[in-house]
Amino acid sequence: MSSPQPKSAGFILGFSMVIAVLIAVPFFVDLFYQTFLTEVLVWVLFAVSFDLIFGYTGLLSFGQALFFGLGAYSIAIPVSKFGLGPGPAFLLAIIIPMLFAWFVGYFSVKLSGIHFVIITLIFALIGSTIGETWPSLTGGADGLTVPFSPLQIGPLKIDLTDIKTNYYLVLIVVALCFLLLRRMVQSPLGKVFIAIRENEDRARLIGYNVQRYKLLAFVIAGGLSGIAGGLYGITLKYASANFLHWGVSGHAVVYTIVGGMGTLFGPVLGTGIIMSLEHYLVNYLQGTDLVIGIVLVFMVLVAPKGLVGLLQRKGK
Amino acid sequence: MAVQEVSKSFGGLLAVNNANLSIKKGELRALIGPNGAGKTTLLNLITGIYPVSQGQILFKNREITRLSPDRISHQGISRTMQITSLFSGLTVFENIWAAVQSRKKFFNPFIRAIKWQDVRTKTYQMLELTGLQDKAELICSELAYGEQRILEMGIALSTDPDLLLLDEPTAGLNTQESIALVKKMRAMLSGQTIILVEHDMGVVMELADRISVLHYGEILAEGSPEEIKNNEKVKKVYLGY
Repeated sequence: MSSPQPKSAGFILGFSMVIAVLIAVPFFVDLFYQTFLTEVLVWVLFAVSFDLIFGYTGLLSFGQALFFGLGAYSIAIPVSKFGLGPGPAFLLAIIIPMLFAWFVGYFSVKLSGIHFVIITLIFALIGSTIGETWPSLTGGADGLTVPFSPLQIGPLKIDLTDIKTNYYLVLIVVALCFLLLRRMVQSPLGKVFIAIRENEDRARLIGYNVQRYKLLAFVIAGGLSGIAGGLYGITLKYASANFLHWGVSGHAVVYTIVGGMGTLFGPVLGTGIIMSLEHYLVNYLQGTDLVIGIVLVFMVLVAPKGLVGLLQRKGK
Repeated sequence: MAVQEVSKSFGGLLAVNNANLSIKKGELRALIGPNGAGKTTLLNLITGIYPVSQGQILFKNREITRLSPDRISHQGISRTMQITSLFSGLTVFENIWAAVQSRKKFFNPFIRAIKWQDVRTKTYQMLELTGLQDKAELICSELAYGEQRILEMGIALSTDPDLLLLDEPTAGLNTQESIALVKKMRAMLSGQTIILVEHDMGVVMELADRISVLHYGEILAEGSPEEIKNNEKVKKVYLGY
């Protein structure tokens, strides 16, 4: 913000190029890689939503899996058990995780540091325990398969069972969410989040109601995690209690730290690189987590600001 | 601003004991006393960082005793800290911006902050007032220590306070830096109502209209710099002669 020179032109060009490439990709890769790319996009959204609370507001939450899983279930349960259409169910995938995020955040944002980490972890554990022990509703660890009818938007009928169509739907939603988040972090509200991250006490002393804004960031991130979970459910046509496991939050932590927190672009990069690494390593190794762990330790030691920080340093 | 019979205890320790303080508009009141006298605690009580154990604090004829720090800030009280408190990873410009923007009621998430013209203009004005306009692009932790103290004052002033509390602004500065800071403060703070906690008696005598002396949490004496200089009790417990 300090620089009066807006970098919008560069961003618009770069973003348009990436979107153009992503639009073209399905014409050159098979269905397997179209599905893989769709999953990468979903995790990108999950990671950037996590970046809003961790990278921009300074809150390390392990509870995001709860909202991700709720997003998936908010689609899977109404569609599979009550025959709701995918459109209204997708709205539920935003609203329900936001309501839960408000509830969890109400108690959590009163705490800070390690206490905040622990309470969000506890809420995630409660969520996954409920998910696992209530199979009649959630399908437990076996999960629920979701028979999707076509999504009707005005005269447009979208067949969600078609992999390429699903890919484009996910691409549109993720791109819109990314643009929304980018605008938000550059907005006056984003500046409040950043001020809280930098010095909570000073922010309070100049008049910001720190708890209120932390809660707001938490709810927005919860809603976006819910959208990611909803898209994941649509992509896999499936939701399981495993989606609620706190380890899912760990994915977002790794992607964000590796890519560079507080940058939005970092988590995108981190997700792409780590998921690709996992995808190729799984052919040679059983313990891909070990390699990812080594990458994480290496990044924390060598490039604590992530790949984006490293690139910026090289750029200077 | 009036502090009326305010006490604060931490367990068995009575840090502020039945303190009374009344500040007129435009006055620069220095609060002095030995280490542990309760000066910073009193500022923390006024700004809502600590809850008051007993007594009440009035500001502009309104009780603010139980308000949170952010609400007290919106009543018109701002402060600097004993240990410099900045948004350390942000630029000088962004530090001032955060404070200027805090006076707004709604933070639109859909506009670019930089396009908020009145906030931007005020931020540049405040940068000019602090003399840090040439360093606006620097990350504030890269500033010299004295400049960081100035920036913190700039942040406090950017909230348009009616009362400014300065907690040892010259702490950690050498004599020359202190003199430069005092000169700067004079220019920046003219006409401002201030409570100044300060150990450097040169700075206190130079700036204060009136002085209150705290000792073991109690107001020991109050008067003009000349009166305090000649007060026997103050000489004995604080000035040491």
